[in-house]
Amino acid sequence: MKRNVQVLLLLFTGVGLLHISLLTDLYLRYVRSGLRPALIASGVLLIVLGAVSAARDGFPFNRPRTDDDHGGHHGGGHDHSQGPRIAWLLYIPALTILFLAPPALGSYTAARDEAKAKAPTAGDSLFSALPRSGIVELSLNDFSSRAVWDTDGTLKGHTVRLTGFVTPGRHGTWYVSRLAISCCAADATVRKVRVHGAAAPPADAWVTVTGTWHPTGKVGTDDASPALDATSVKRVPAPKDPYNDAVATRPGR
Amino acid sequence: MDRDVDVAPPLSESPAHGRTPSAAHSDGSGGPRVAVRVASHALIAGLPVAVLGVVAIVLGPEISAGLDSRAVAAWRTVFTAIVIQGVPFLLLGTLVSAAISAFVPAWVFTRVLPRNPALAVPVAGVAGAVLPGCECASVPVAGSLMRRGVTPAAALAFLLSAPAINPIVLMATYVAFPGNPWMVAARLVASLLTSVVMGWLWLRLGREEWLRAPKGPTGHTAGASRAEEFRVSLQHDFLHAGGFLVVGAAAAATFNVTVPHSVLRLFSDSVWWSLPMLGMLAVVLAVCSEADAFVAASLTGFSPSARLAFMVVGPMVDLKLIALQSGTFGRAFALRFSSATWVVAVLSSALVGWWLL
Repeated sequence: MKRNVQVLLLLFTGVGLLHISLLTDLYLRYVRSGLRPALIASGVLLIVLGAVSAARDGFPFNRPRTDDDHGGHHGGGHDHSQGPRIAWLLYIPALTILFLAPPALGSYTAARDEAKAKAPTAGDSLFSALPRSGIVELSLNDFSSRAVWDTDGTLKGHTVRLTGFVTPGRHGTWYVSRLAISCCAADATVRKVRVHGAAAPPADAWVTVTGTWHPTGKVGTDDASPALDATSVKRVPAPKDPYNDAVATRPGR
Repeated sequence: MDRDVDVAPPLSESPAHGRTPSAAHSDGSGGPRVAVRVASHALIAGLPVAVLGVVAIVLGPEISAGLDSRAVAAWRTVFTAIVIQGVPFLLLGTLVSAAISAFVPAWVFTRVLPRNPALAVPVAGVAGAVLPGCECASVPVAGSLMRRGVTPAAALAFLLSAPAINPIVLMATYVAFPGNPWMVAARLVASLLTSVVMGWLWLRLGREEWLRAPKGPTGHTAGASRAEEFRVSLQHDFLHAGGFLVVGAAAAATFNVTVPHSVLRLFSDSVWWSLPMLGMLAVVLAVCSEADAFVAASLTGFSPSARLAFMVVGPMVDLKLIALQSGTFGRAFALRFSSATWVVAVLSSALVGWWLL
């Protein structure tokens, strides 16, 4: 890889990283929000490195300043001015994040895996009682854990509201679902709650579902699975951070 | 499209940067020749950008639609995610390794590490705890240690232990397994054991010719300053390792999207099968070592030892690491070393799991 192409690649990668982390929130489709400072720092560093290299190597001439070899002008066989050839591959992600940023993971991934409700670690007392009045907003994670493992039945008699995207199931069934990541999209885990009593919106649409718990199976065993009897389904815009399954403000807390 | 605005400045102002030194350097055969050369180089450098920009603008929606097949979209997302996630750590690793190459004199290592290679291996393994970050960072650092004359066995022990036993990763493990601090201890012990055993194995069985001496622009150019050396080696190492990161990310994304996790559950009942199964899963998923504890915690139904194997193998052997290692040390080395490490890692997690968990 020639030096001027290397400079270009460094600049592209740096600008691409800044584009997804500083100028837009696109990075939230791929990695957790905590990585943002590291991404910005990397972008700045790559741009600085590219700019210094451009100045030193006489961009776009492909002629390093320290190169004393006057004989061959274009340095064809000159080995150490040639960078690694494999680096060409870096153009793929660099241009991808600049021009064709792929979407966040959605129903395709959520449909492929079973949801596993997280079992409580130290007894059922972990489930605090829900506020008595009004609609309770719950994260899919909280709702699933309560629906599967809560033998005290704290969900009974409450109207809850869940937010997530639509994942179609078999035979016209559908789920309100979320993917949660701990580092990047490669480690996404599925959370989904089956919705009864409402027609399925199109796949990947974001919705809030209001309804009551629909018990299935024996609570406290692997038989149970989270489900909801919906009274209303409302389309909502996709959130900025699609993998963040936390309820910002919960009434009564 | 604002994206083109992002690209434009480096293109339009860089020629101005470059003109002065190069024109001064040229043999002075007249303006027209220089102008032609500027034009041709600007064309060569600018053409791909222009073409890609035009393609993106004109065909953008159609390309997006074509790539909209949901499996392809998922693949691209996972691929991009692995690369983006890896770049900061790769950059950290290449910064450290370039600093070692340019600023740290070789005698520092010979003084810090014991002369006897068999003793240097455990010392280097424990020293892995100081490099915070995931496995992408450790490969270039280990390469530069070898370049600086550290015995390969010790550098390899460092390579294996650094991503597994640093405080960030152990903290993540503690958070992922609440109320089970033994898991953290078991991970520390098993990872350290594996890296030390592999270092000693290399001393015993390793052959010099398998290991391609990490090469890079270390030909200490006469007259080049330390800072210049630092810049050149940083640029070279980053671009080199970055290319291999892309290869590894593509392979890992392919497995991630095509292999359903439910296949693995078939083996969760057997204690004997579950260990190598989760060991294989760690290889193909290529989850970053700071996150793999959370993935391991979500693999309910597997024995604690099997989950330990997932966390011990993950930072030491996975698709993106194999690609990175074959870039730095050669393919002959990467395949032998990775398969041996895998076996040792699974065995040591079985042993430590039986002892501690």
